[in-house]
Amino acid sequence: MSLAGSYGVGIGWRPEIAGFVAALPGLRFTEVIAESVPASGPVPAPLTALREAGAVVIPHGVRLSLGGAEPVDPARVAQLAAAARQLEAPLVSEHIAFVRAGGLEAGHLLPLPRSREAVDAVVANVARTQAELPVPIALEPIAAIFDWPDDELDEAAFLTEILDRTGALLLLDIANVYANARNRGTEPTDLLDRLPLERVAYVHVAGGAEHDGIYHDTHTDAVPREVLDLVAELCARHRPPALMLERDGHYPPAGTLRTELDAIAAASGYPVVT
Amino acid sequence: MTSLADRQAALVAALVAGAPIPDGFDPRLIDTARRALLRKRSGEVARHWPLLAASFGPKWPAVFAEWAGARPTEGSFQDGLALARTLPLTGAAAEELAEREAALRPGLLRRLTRAFR
Repeated sequence: MSLAGSYGVGIGWRPEIAGFVAALPGLRFTEVIAESVPASGPVPAPLTALREAGAVVIPHGVRLSLGGAEPVDPARVAQLAAAARQLEAPLVSEHIAFVRAGGLEAGHLLPLPRSREAVDAVVANVARTQAELPVPIALEPIAAIFDWPDDELDEAAFLTEILDRTGALLLLDIANVYANARNRGTEPTDLLDRLPLERVAYVHVAGGAEHDGIYHDTHTDAVPREVLDLVAELCARHRPPALMLERDGHYPPAGTLRTELDAIAAASGYPVVT
Repeated sequence: MTSLADRQAALVAALVAGAPIPDGFDPRLIDTARRALLRKRSGEVARHWPLLAASFGPKWPAVFAEWAGARPTEGSFQDGLALARTLPLTGAAAEELAEREAALRPGLLRRLTRAFR
């Protein structure tokens, strides 16, 4: 993170688990979906309470479409900047992906072709966004169910070029690294060995499940053992300042969530926050 | 070669609007992604329309996917409303729809009143 010190283990704040998150005694950072933060007027009270208790809250955008061939919508950029100001956040994050094109909403994060043209499009949109943001941005590579037919760069080269040209931080989703490697039949640690891990602002950890022979990064299933092992592999190379559990539905009982947070703490060597 | 913008538009149209899969993509994986998007949408619509979704039990994702397969989203609330209006609902799901229709009506009346003043 662009801050001194380490933040350890956190969890993504969602309204459905606000009570659980509020009750975590050791929590020092969380993330909120940026589009859900009001641009003016009061911030949701539970988020204010977490901040008053000393936790950092990071706005995480999901609908900016930084990878769209068209310029990012200035209103959406303004909303992300407003969320950062509202929460006095040290940074914001968004995805290396596109979510709409030709007037249609995809409803999810879609992969880009790993081409020079796509790198140029992302770099231009990140620059447009950075010009309006009061704080740094961290970019998150996504889990892709399919690849484009004409990739010129491999994933490490594609991501590194975007980070180098934008100066952005990296939000590394270790579950996405796992999902992509599993679905492409590659070694996930090969990517870890080639990414600029010193640029990692924080890390997402999430669960998934297999459907139709493909591993889906669902955020609604348990975190697999293999993902936790990859957390340990990452931390053995370069331990990031913060790692957080991302859960977006089918919320399990509090005890199960606590066990997952403790497992992330164990895998990373950070103190438990439960 | 066509532009990135055109290629992104063709891909999204294949995923959400029933358009043909652009050349070169793996049709099996695009179809997997298409169905994953529909599963995700069905969950989001269920959050806005819990009784509608519950009235179909475990069949809800399939019922939603059947309706939404070639319909791009207009937003989860609108998608649920549009689907609910096509279904012969009974019980709690019918009440959920009736309540929302009633809640929509005053706003509509206000707009019509203004428009014809």
